[in-house]
Amino acid sequence: MHNIDEMPARLAAFLAAEEPGWRDIEVTAYEVMTGGYSRLLAKAHVRHAAGERVFVLRGDPPADRSLIHTDRLTEWEVLSAVASHGVRVSQPRYFDPSGERLGTKALVIEFCEATSLLAYLAAHGTDEHAAAVAPLAEAAAAFHRIPLEQLPACLARPASWDAYLDHRIDEWRRSAHAHVESQPILRFIAAWLQAHRPPAVPLSLIHGDFQSANLMRDPDGGIVILDWELAQIGDPREDLGYFKAVAQIAGPDLTDIDADGFCRHYRELMGFTEDQLNPAVLAYFLVLGVVGTVRQLLEGAAAYARGDNKLLASVFNLSSVQFGNSIWLPTTRALDAAFATMREA
Amino acid sequence: MFTRPTTEQVLRGLVDDLSRTIAPELTSETAKVALGMIVQLLQGCAVRSAHEIAWMHDEIAAIEAEVGTVAAAHGDSLHLEDVIVRYHAASEVLAEAVEAGYAAGDEARVDRLRALLEARSGNEMRIVGALDLVGRG
Repeated sequence: MHNIDEMPARLAAFLAAEEPGWRDIEVTAYEVMTGGYSRLLAKAHVRHAAGERVFVLRGDPPADRSLIHTDRLTEWEVLSAVASHGVRVSQPRYFDPSGERLGTKALVIEFCEATSLLAYLAAHGTDEHAAAVAPLAEAAAAFHRIPLEQLPACLARPASWDAYLDHRIDEWRRSAHAHVESQPILRFIAAWLQAHRPPAVPLSLIHGDFQSANLMRDPDGGIVILDWELAQIGDPREDLGYFKAVAQIAGPDLTDIDADGFCRHYRELMGFTEDQLNPAVLAYFLVLGVVGTVRQLLEGAAAYARGDNKLLASVFNLSSVQFGNSIWLPTTRALDAAFATMREA
Repeated sequence: MFTRPTTEQVLRGLVDDLSRTIAPELTSETAKVALGMIVQLLQGCAVRSAHEIAWMHDEIAAIEAEVGTVAAAHGDSLHLEDVIVRYHAASEVLAEAVEAGYAAGDEARVDRLRALLEARSGNEMRIVGALDLVGRG
């Protein structure tokens, strides 16, 4: 997919098969995109007799260059499902499930003309940051509210919230045990999470990588959500906590500008009680919500340490786990104090 | 054996050369992202070369002061691989002590063990420095 000499012709042939009504298809520009750590990305300008289109191709890297392993068919089905529910996404158009036509299993989606939320926030001040808080809650709720029965059958359904949370907390322990060296911080976090379980909420679709880098801002202020490869069914508060966690590296933290207001707006959209979501519970999920990414990053670093891969990003991304350690531990300390105060009250 | 310039100095020099000489010549976005990662990794390697054996040694001592002598001490060699083996053993004992502390509801003990982990995290962040997620967004 990154062979820029070969791909224009392959893509033109692919589109000719997918769109038999199009005539004189020509790929006028094809360029490799950066921005995705895990997938190959490319942008293609396409002209045909009746118009012009810009697409993004999102495909699997070669197996020995794969940072994390996710399934393109699942991503395609999830993206198609959320798009059909009106969630703002880059519209999915085509899928090459075998990779025979595009060189690798790949999704073809509409290029999103919206502005990168990270870039927008960096270029604007506190008033614009505050104005993005409600749209963030609305963007999350838009897919968290989709009924489970309307989600793709390929997504695993946990037996219950309690079983799911047990499994999720244990993922910290499993990640620690699977790593190439002892990870006592991860095991501390698992024990702490178990000791402070929040009230249950209904399980929902979760994005799994809900961070500013995967969000775009439409001109009307609404938020477009990209990159659904880590989507699964889980606790929706994980996405909020994950957003908060990544915002500690790449801010601003929109959930913290008015933490009470953010939680209240999201609760209203989801029908949750204040016990189910408040700033302390949100901070709990800052810790819990990152475990899927932590596991993937540690697996990559472990593979590098064993000599099973030579990916620069695998060793580079270990820095994110170390940065996370510096956030999670103080968060547990702060929440212990907050919970103690709440108990006394 | 020559010890100066130190490994830390050499690695920091490489970072300077890559940043001042190589980076401006790059036009490919992919190459720029790769160089950004390499520079940050070299900066971390510079810190590790100067301190990691001492930091592991100090942490092992602090863990032993809290939980008792770590079994299978693996001698006192200062070769990196030998220190890593001792550090791994001490880390396992620390992790088990944390889990036992929570199981017993011993908040004071858990708090002291968390302080050890916070010290570890502090050293990690000296290695990481100012994290820049190059290429994202």
